[in-house]
Amino acid sequence: MTPASPDGPPLFFLSRWTLAVLALSMACSALRATEPEGAARFHKEIEPILQRSCMGCHNADRNKGGVAFDHFASDTALVEDRELWWKALKMLRAGLMPPKNKPRPTTDEIGHIEAWIKSVPFQIDPNNPDPGRVTVRRLNRIEYRNTVRDLLGVDYDTEAFPPDDTGFGFDNIGDVLSLSPLLLEKYITAARAIIEQAVPMAPTAVAEKRLAGRRFRTVESTAVGAGGDGPLVLSYYKPAKVTAPLRTQFAGHYQLVLDLTANERFVDGVFDYNKCHFIFRADGEQLLAKEFMRQGGKSFHFSFDRQWQAGDHELTIELQPLTPGAKQVRSLTLRLDGVTVRGPLEKEHWVRPPNYERYFPRPVPASLADRRQYAEELLRRFATRAFRRSVDDATVNRLAGMAERVYTRPGQTFEAGVAQAMTVVLASPHFLFREEEVESGPANLHPLLDEYALALRLSYFLWSSMPDEELFRLAGAHQLRKNLHAQVARMLASRRSGEFVRHFTGQWLQARDIDTVEINARAVMQRDEPPDPAVRKRFSRFRELVRKPPESLTDKEKKELADMRANFISSFRRFARFELNYGLRQAMHQETELLFDHILRQDRSVLELLDSDYTFLNERLANHYGISNVKGDQMRLVQLPPDSPRGGVLTQGTVLAVTSNPDRTSPVKRGLFILDNILGVPPPPPPPNIPLLEDAETAAGTKPPTLREALRIHRGQTLCSSCHNRMDPLGLAFENFNALGRWRDKERSQAIDAAGTLITGESFTGVRQLKHILVSRHSREFYRCLTEKVLTYALGRGLDYYDVYTVDAMVQRLEQADGHPSVLLMGIIDSAPFQRRRAAGAAETASASP
Amino acid sequence: MTRTRRASKGRLLARRVWVTLLRAMLEEQSMPGDDRLEGLDRRCFLRGLGAAVAMPLFASLRPARLLAGVPEASRLATTATGAPLRAAFLFFPNGAIPATWWPKEQGANFPLSRTLQPLARSKAFVQVLGGLNHKCAEPGPDGPGDHARGGGTFLTGVRLNKSATKLRAGISIDQALAQQIGQLTRFPSLELSCDPNHRAGACDSGYACAYQFNLSWSSPTTPVSPEGNPRLVFERLFGAGAPGERRANLERRRQEDRSILDFVLEDARSMQRRLNSADQRKLDQYLTGVREIEQRIARTEQFGEVLDPGVETPPGIPSDYGEYLHLMYDLLLLAFQTDSTRVATFLLAHDGSNRSFDQIGISEGHHDLTHHQNRKEWIDKVSDIDQWYIGQFAKFLDKLQQTKDVDGRPLLHNCMIVYGSGNADANRHTHSNLPLLLAGGGGGTLKPGRYIGHGSKPVTNLFVGLSQRLGLHKMEHFGDSTGPLQNL
Repeated sequence: MTPASPDGPPLFFLSRWTLAVLALSMACSALRATEPEGAARFHKEIEPILQRSCMGCHNADRNKGGVAFDHFASDTALVEDRELWWKALKMLRAGLMPPKNKPRPTTDEIGHIEAWIKSVPFQIDPNNPDPGRVTVRRLNRIEYRNTVRDLLGVDYDTEAFPPDDTGFGFDNIGDVLSLSPLLLEKYITAARAIIEQAVPMAPTAVAEKRLAGRRFRTVESTAVGAGGDGPLVLSYYKPAKVTAPLRTQFAGHYQLVLDLTANERFVDGVFDYNKCHFIFRADGEQLLAKEFMRQGGKSFHFSFDRQWQAGDHELTIELQPLTPGAKQVRSLTLRLDGVTVRGPLEKEHWVRPPNYERYFPRPVPASLADRRQYAEELLRRFATRAFRRSVDDATVNRLAGMAERVYTRPGQTFEAGVAQAMTVVLASPHFLFREEEVESGPANLHPLLDEYALALRLSYFLWSSMPDEELFRLAGAHQLRKNLHAQVARMLASRRSGEFVRHFTGQWLQARDIDTVEINARAVMQRDEPPDPAVRKRFSRFRELVRKPPESLTDKEKKELADMRANFISSFRRFARFELNYGLRQAMHQETELLFDHILRQDRSVLELLDSDYTFLNERLANHYGISNVKGDQMRLVQLPPDSPRGGVLTQGTVLAVTSNPDRTSPVKRGLFILDNILGVPPPPPPPNIPLLEDAETAAGTKPPTLREALRIHRGQTLCSSCHNRMDPLGLAFENFNALGRWRDKERSQAIDAAGTLITGESFTGVRQLKHILVSRHSREFYRCLTEKVLTYALGRGLDYYDVYTVDAMVQRLEQADGHPSVLLMGIIDSAPFQRRRAAGAAETASASP
Repeated sequence: MTRTRRASKGRLLARRVWVTLLRAMLEEQSMPGDDRLEGLDRRCFLRGLGAAVAMPLFASLRPARLLAGVPEASRLATTATGAPLRAAFLFFPNGAIPATWWPKEQGANFPLSRTLQPLARSKAFVQVLGGLNHKCAEPGPDGPGDHARGGGTFLTGVRLNKSATKLRAGISIDQALAQQIGQLTRFPSLELSCDPNHRAGACDSGYACAYQFNLSWSSPTTPVSPEGNPRLVFERLFGAGAPGERRANLERRRQEDRSILDFVLEDARSMQRRLNSADQRKLDQYLTGVREIEQRIARTEQFGEVLDPGVETPPGIPSDYGEYLHLMYDLLLLAFQTDSTRVATFLLAHDGSNRSFDQIGISEGHHDLTHHQNRKEWIDKVSDIDQWYIGQFAKFLDKLQQTKDVDGRPLLHNCMIVYGSGNADANRHTHSNLPLLLAGGGGGTLKPGRYIGHGSKPVTNLFVGLSQRLGLHKMEHFGDSTGPLQNL
């Protein structure tokens, strides 16, 4: 059923050498057949066009941009310089070459060039395109977490793993996902912790009930402790009294464990001497009375024994501030994480641990032989799911043997033995890496993936997780390919496809970065006000004082510094409401995801990602954008006023903020973002040894130049102009949005000018017109860019020249179908690179030399 | 939120008597005058602990570890008195403003420059190294990407492969050292970072992000990921749980690990046989990991019981960057003090970091400011940031100076700590005359307290010089070195 049968290597490995020979001969013969013909076509059809439009600059003498079309040593060299032709294709398609002032080839001629590049240098066979080869992929942090959740129902926080390296902008690229010894160590720790949490180690255990902090409520009001599973945060500075009811079914010994954490916000060099009195009572009896001062994130666990009757009980927590006069500078809080109630401790009241049947569906047999067999059965089932393909008998035997060695030790349970073997499964490379096999069958240069591998690609693409039962069952029955479209539709309809939305937009549009991007609200908002020399002066004095070693400060200076700090705190208070706090960041992040999600689920045009007359807001974000009549925390679809500059991802808080510096906007970063992620024509990185902008200040007169002025001076340098002419007009169009993503008309008292002309010739007066131009004149570039990004994400590898065929086909379909995302996703899933892989011995289609 | 929640797991109350006494001293007595004990913030688990803890800790370091009788030539990472000799490599981002970094005069009585002011107390233990270069970080044929190269060449001294996916640097000096002297301690090396959040999207100019976020490379293709969570650093070194329980926890772990490793090793080998070469390399990484953990287990058994520093496990990642650095520096100190390792790297922030420093009145991004267009205000601010970083480093040196090593000398005497950046003048992206300090006495083999110009030599010459002091006399070359650096 799978090509990798347990007792022998898969078929295609046996025939690896046959294949290699086949590949080589096919590639060579293909080249031999087409080279003279391809070169002849070049000289006849292509060269004249290039001579007219390109070779004026790109000849061996001028060699502009290091590109020349007339220096080839031979026709073979000409045909084989794939890098050059790939670059030429991109420049031509983006309309960047030939430049505006040079004659442009006609549409037909461009078509000729494209067709020639694809068929001759790229050697693309439309009937059998090279699918490329994906390096075996390790689960990244997200995939690991989701897979563990779906496999075992445990939510394991993978933030403790080292961050995954990214390549081509995504964190699921096989080539760059490395596995360091530190990570392996963490995988082993995680495996142990996860199994410990999920799998019961004994058939019965003390009953346990957790009362989360938010289950505690005030008697009078429901404002504190709104219910739910989270912790309850209490301030050192405010008295509070909260209670939680509890019912016990049996009389007996109980154990209560109270979990607290004392938190504070760090403020350098300033201390908070507040204290509070904390009292914990059960049924009115005081169990704990303790004074807390600041403890810096320290956790406390208090345990109490109780002899309780059956019936109702009440837990009470009381907090009294002890230092009403002290300065409150560090926001001291006590976080009530919760109370765990264990009991009755008497063995006759012990219960089946939660989830017992999930792992041990029938009673543990008595005889050793039956136990062994039961262990094999349980572990085969678990390993098959965890490895996401059928597991051979040898592995099952080894696992069961390991379990047996544990559970035959004195004092060890059967369950503990099986759990130990399950821990090993989670540490195995078969779990941590995604193995892909191919269908068995006649030797093929580009064999189809087997159905388990296809199920894996689908589920990690759309769900960032392992296949569910249904996919797994279909793959096992070899029915998945037959039902592919129905299955994709089902997968997209599932809530889990939110993972695709989250991680694709999170990385493509960098929405993830809004969670942590550093933007200083005070500095940004002050920039939009008239300049205030007094503020500037105060700041430089402050910096002067903090620079000095603290012990060298005079008393007077110490007082001055303390006054300044106090002054800053109070004068900055007015900026507090602009702060990118957790709630606002979340709302922004969701706005981006919800827009993409909406377009995907309603199968609307992907062009609405660039320009739409609606967006998703809650009250906090609507206020931030200056849009009225949105009330409450819930994010919802909001129709935008007709003159609104919002709508589309480019004017969302996420993109606007993550492309800014901490204190100001960066039109260059914004322009670059659009070239990189919307138009798909990234400019080359800035050259080394950039000529400095020493003269920026003097050139602009005595006062500091505006950003627009500075950039204009920058563009004056020929070295800079070719790229900055592309980036700057795009970025400057968004200058009406500050680094927080708020609208503004002025910066430092100067009116903002957002007008510009794109390198491709279109002029606009501001961001609304720019968005319109992008949608109406540059949709093809956007389709191509989006296709490339989704394909990279789906495959887990960077795209190569041979992928041009797949991408082109997709762009064409998107154009015909008005940009429906279903067409894009289904097209990618059906494409050769997604369905197939290059056989182990096969060379790149065109990399063999004659 | 998650951070603090995680930090709250598994903390218990038992403490040793001396810790209680210590806390009493730091907490209660210092309460009213907290601010006077600069840096001795009692809420921070280790802060200021260095001096006070030294006695009880070193009572448990057995004197048998002193190797005074051994002939000098055969000693590895050991001082003349038999104490451990340690090396650490610290990286700060974005170079330094040359005019304020470099002291006005060279020699033994050099005046501290503006940026180096905070080193006043430890000046006698610091060498300012002038004239050292990383030629391999210059653009050469590779064009832009000076921040990636600044980071990736810093400890490797080789030209990086410019690619987003095909990583190729060189082994880093710390890993080369660890391969030679790592067997002397429970951990061959320690890799720390205070920059654990990577941005989404691409990194510098077509270079893989790995070059900017990893200082250590165990092979030209394998970056060694650093640990960025203080709690996890601590638990890795000393075990999880409360003081007193950690040893048992580590012991239990060790036994379980061994059986897990045996099993997965077989899995990995059988899997590797079935893969092609690119895939096999990934499995190689897995197998290397297995081997390293096995070796660690063996070493731990060889060294006997693990020291429990007796302090509470630190919380997760503090929200304040300064506090974060302090905590990490404290952990580095603790690792050296307990002789858990003799080699460490510490990435304070990646090259190109755009952090802002509101606490010293700077709201602009650091990287952004370094391209200062010769505006005086911006240059001043970058100098302030450079100085702030030095200030944090100086506190670390103070503690190393106050902590007594096993031979009764200050811990700093038995250390060699390189502090530097991969760019010299970040405005121009130069890599010559890099801002570099060498702190510590090298167990008496270094002559600190000077500013020496070395003409124009590769930074790797410094690495060779340090390696030889660690007893690796055979290491004559490293990266692009031309010989050991003289006059250290």
